[in-house]
Amino acid sequence: MKAVWPVVFLGLSAAHVALAESADSQEGLTWLSKMAGASNQLNYSGTFVYQQRGRSETSRIVHFVNPAGGVFEKLETLDGPVREVIRSNDQVTCYLPSSKTVLIEQRSARLLPALLPENLTGITESYAVRVGERDRVAGQECQIVSLEPKDDLRYGRQFCLEVRSGLPLRVRTVNEKNETVESFAFTQLRIGGSFDRDRVKSKYAARSRHWRVDRSALNATEKAVESGWVVNNQPAGFRKLMEVNRSLAGRGGPVAQIVFSDGLAAISVFIEPMPKERPAETLTHQGAVNIYTRAYADRMVTVLGEAPAATVMQFANSLELRTSAAAK
Amino acid sequence: MDNISALMDGELDERQAQQEFARLRQQSELRQNWDTFHLIGDALRGERLLLTDVGRCLSDRLAQEPTVLAPRRGTVRKITTYVLSAAASLAAVALVGWMAISTHATFNPRDEVASAPAPVVLPAPSPAPAPAPQVASVPAEGRMNEYLLAHQAFSPSTAIQGVAPYIRSVSARQSSKDR
Repeated sequence: MKAVWPVVFLGLSAAHVALAESADSQEGLTWLSKMAGASNQLNYSGTFVYQQRGRSETSRIVHFVNPAGGVFEKLETLDGPVREVIRSNDQVTCYLPSSKTVLIEQRSARLLPALLPENLTGITESYAVRVGERDRVAGQECQIVSLEPKDDLRYGRQFCLEVRSGLPLRVRTVNEKNETVESFAFTQLRIGGSFDRDRVKSKYAARSRHWRVDRSALNATEKAVESGWVVNNQPAGFRKLMEVNRSLAGRGGPVAQIVFSDGLAAISVFIEPMPKERPAETLTHQGAVNIYTRAYADRMVTVLGEAPAATVMQFANSLELRTSAAAK
Repeated sequence: MDNISALMDGELDERQAQQEFARLRQQSELRQNWDTFHLIGDALRGERLLLTDVGRCLSDRLAQEPTVLAPRRGTVRKITTYVLSAAASLAAVALVGWMAISTHATFNPRDEVASAPAPVVLPAPSPAPAPAPQVASVPAEGRMNEYLLAHQAFSPSTAIQGVAPYIRSVSARQSSKDR
């Protein structure tokens, strides 16, 4: 009887090796869908550090899911100038006491595409999903799950997910040289706790009554349209998610926005009338997001996304107007 | 007393002013008046917000001060000094706040200077699709926030990380303003 066990074990491990890749991928996807659900189901509060290209910033977050429905969140910076971001469902309010400014953003939830977890299977087209080792972040055990890009059109991600809830305790975005371009990690975290409206209220709510309120920069009036613009040399793995006309601060007319995604990263293409000063061709970045601006005929085109610069530029340079009506 | 307010308002000629300064050096009560007048002046010039904040800030701090069981003449003077420094620092805060607004409104020209590498200008960008040219990337420093916010609403990463993406754009907004 004793001799049987090693044989059974050998058989199992052979099967395991054969199925390793798909099983690993399947397990990884299970983790990712758990993660996607976590922020809509969990109450948590903690402190995290956000880092991008040499700059780091510590913030405190309180996140509640109201049993009656709705997500309430408060985010405040702990170093540098004070900033507070309050989110209640679709409304995001940002308080900037140093300039006595309130930024308000109200977005229509209807237009938000349901991205996860239904679209998770699409991710495996462009990324290899790997389940790594266990690690520890903010004193809590977490599971490393990596998304490794199958080509150089996208960045990789490494998540460390709290083992029971799937909440991401650390997220790293890495480029083709395996350098971290952006990261986010909790340093202290408490999962659970009951809903407390006071903890997700701004301490500037009363004081800010006399502050400057800026709705223009963030006010999104989005309308689904067919802009007539197409990307004819779309980088592999990206699919068009949506197309809207929207308002942007300081623009006379609506700006067309077309969004593409490979299931993880998204690329936005903005097309607007040429400003008075013809823009120079420029490439800028903000954390993991690359932003490319160029002139195209009588339009200004701005493409951005959390993808390598070459990918972002490929979108901008493959743009074409299909319907002549939209050009007028 | 009247001479002091006149001195503060700059209404005395040089000789009279010298006399008042001499009196101030000699008499501590006059110095207190000088302090009080400045406080009143600060308060009058300040906004209502400043006034209420001075009052509350002061009472908060006074509540924390140890109780002086045997007050001497110097105590009053100490409080006056405190009020003054509180008013002064509030005024400084108000000033900084105002500067932040005005620099923001004029799109902070210093920002352009501070971010050393200027956006790279390429010769004659062609309107037709072209092979990706080599363009050096520079930090966006908050100039692209409208686009960032509009973009993030639709990024799957946003769905995953909740509010975290707002850090990116808000962080940029702030850093551009504070330079």
